[in-house]
Amino acid sequence: MTRGLILGALLLLYALVVVPFTTYMRQRPVALKLGYTPAGEALRLVASDQRYLLAQLAVDRVLFYFGSLFTKDGHRVSTPPEYFNMFATMQSALKLDPYNMDAYYFTEAAFTWELKRIREVNNMLDYGMKYRTWDAQLPFYAGFNAAYFSKDYRTASLYMQKAAELSGNPLYTTLASRYFYEAGQSALGITFLRAMEQSAKDAKVKKIYQVRRKALEGITVISDALNRFREARHTLPPDLKTLVREGFLSRIPEDPYGGTFYLDSKGKVVSSSKLAGKQ
Amino acid sequence: MDVFRATVVMTFRWILRDRVLHAILAVALLMILLVPALSTFSMRQVQELSITLSLSAISFVLLMVTVLLGASSVWRDIERRYLASVLTLPISRTVFLLGRFCGIACFIALCGVVLGAAAAVIISVSSAQYPSDIPIHWDKIGLALLADIAKYIMLASVGIFFSTVSTSFYFPFFASIGIYLAGSGSQEVYEYVSGQFGKEMGSVSVALFKAVYYLIPNFAAFDLKVPAIYGVPVLPAGLGLTFSYAVLYCAILLCVSSYTFSRRQFP
Repeated sequence: MTRGLILGALLLLYALVVVPFTTYMRQRPVALKLGYTPAGEALRLVASDQRYLLAQLAVDRVLFYFGSLFTKDGHRVSTPPEYFNMFATMQSALKLDPYNMDAYYFTEAAFTWELKRIREVNNMLDYGMKYRTWDAQLPFYAGFNAAYFSKDYRTASLYMQKAAELSGNPLYTTLASRYFYEAGQSALGITFLRAMEQSAKDAKVKKIYQVRRKALEGITVISDALNRFREARHTLPPDLKTLVREGFLSRIPEDPYGGTFYLDSKGKVVSSSKLAGKQ
Repeated sequence: MDVFRATVVMTFRWILRDRVLHAILAVALLMILLVPALSTFSMRQVQELSITLSLSAISFVLLMVTVLLGASSVWRDIERRYLASVLTLPISRTVFLLGRFCGIACFIALCGVVLGAAAAVIISVSSAQYPSDIPIHWDKIGLALLADIAKYIMLASVGIFFSTVSTSFYFPFFASIGIYLAGSGSQEVYEYVSGQFGKEMGSVSVALFKAVYYLIPNFAAFDLKVPAIYGVPVLPAGLGLTFSYAVLYCAILLCVSSYTFSRRQFP
């Protein structure tokens, strides 16, 4: 009898608690707290051979947290994200497992477009390149960041060159040579393209490199004539035909992409094809 | 030799009948079965994550098995007064201890092989669903398993050593876990104190750290998970040294254990 009364009272109390508890759970903030992750160096000491698992758990925690920042229709919730904590967690994860591709991929996706932390992201990618020595993705990301966000074409071209050498992918080669050109390093771009052309096995890929190299060679010939003109006359010619007419250039090279070379307002040799023609 | 073989077989059978170990192995198989589902949490490396999870689960289970067996074997024999009756037979304490150790080592190896075979099936399933750019390096996965087995056999010898000097189950149990953690991090600490940080420390402290480094087992050398997961090359010379180190460390520790066990008074 007494036991039944106690049980009844407990069930009543449970009913009283469970209703507000369910309401609280339903109304709690969407964004979860990311929490604190100890420094990777400290974790390595205690994680033993489970550090790869711990690294993945840290990455997944950031992913779940990041996912909770968005509503189902793709809008961001009003809670300010813990970006610094997210980055620190990724750094810790990479100290535990410097090979973890998820961490690099997420860092590239989350910290460039919205936060523009290009230098920090590229530092992390540089760190990853020391370990994932076979992977063309990391230099590709770093090259893209340097070119697109920082407008540092010289650095971008070097990253793309690395990506192209690692993968043999013509896209990376094209991007590398484009960035060499944008950085005013056409001669370097030509040397690089020639090496890629020689090592390419596929005839179509070889042709792509060849066309790109010829375009850069044409630009180099015109740029050299332009420099000689500038030294002799201390001014820029009004157009490229002037270079031919006054004997600085035998003829204007053809753009293999089907466009026409001309001088832009800053005195830079460009093409109407933008070196991305019908190829 | 027959007495030794009989002790090994008896130890092995005794372990096979242990229900706690049955439960641990069942949980391990369940963990491995969950690997394909858990691997899909990865954005870019499902295959790599399936190998990571499988090897981590195996390593964790082997740690549990090793610590329980290493710490409990001698203690259980004393508690159940089994040892008192065995030692009345014409069998030396050293042979008995070595038999116990070899039985435990055989069981650890068997666990590693069985769980490794289950993991191989699961890894194949995961990687077939989401193929990776990196091929599966079965040879390196096998090597990582072998290194794990060697590591836990070393830890078993540590557990047996502690159980020969203690009357309690808890001391060898927690001491083995402590040595496991210290041995896993000792290489990092050694490199840390050997670098710039060590110059700022007192020479006595550095010498102390280095002495501990040489005294406790270096488990970092047996962590071949990165080559297994990402296909990073392994140096054959380093492997030879690592396995030689394991054999010698176990042999020395068993000699010391045999000495302390032979001098011990039993109730």
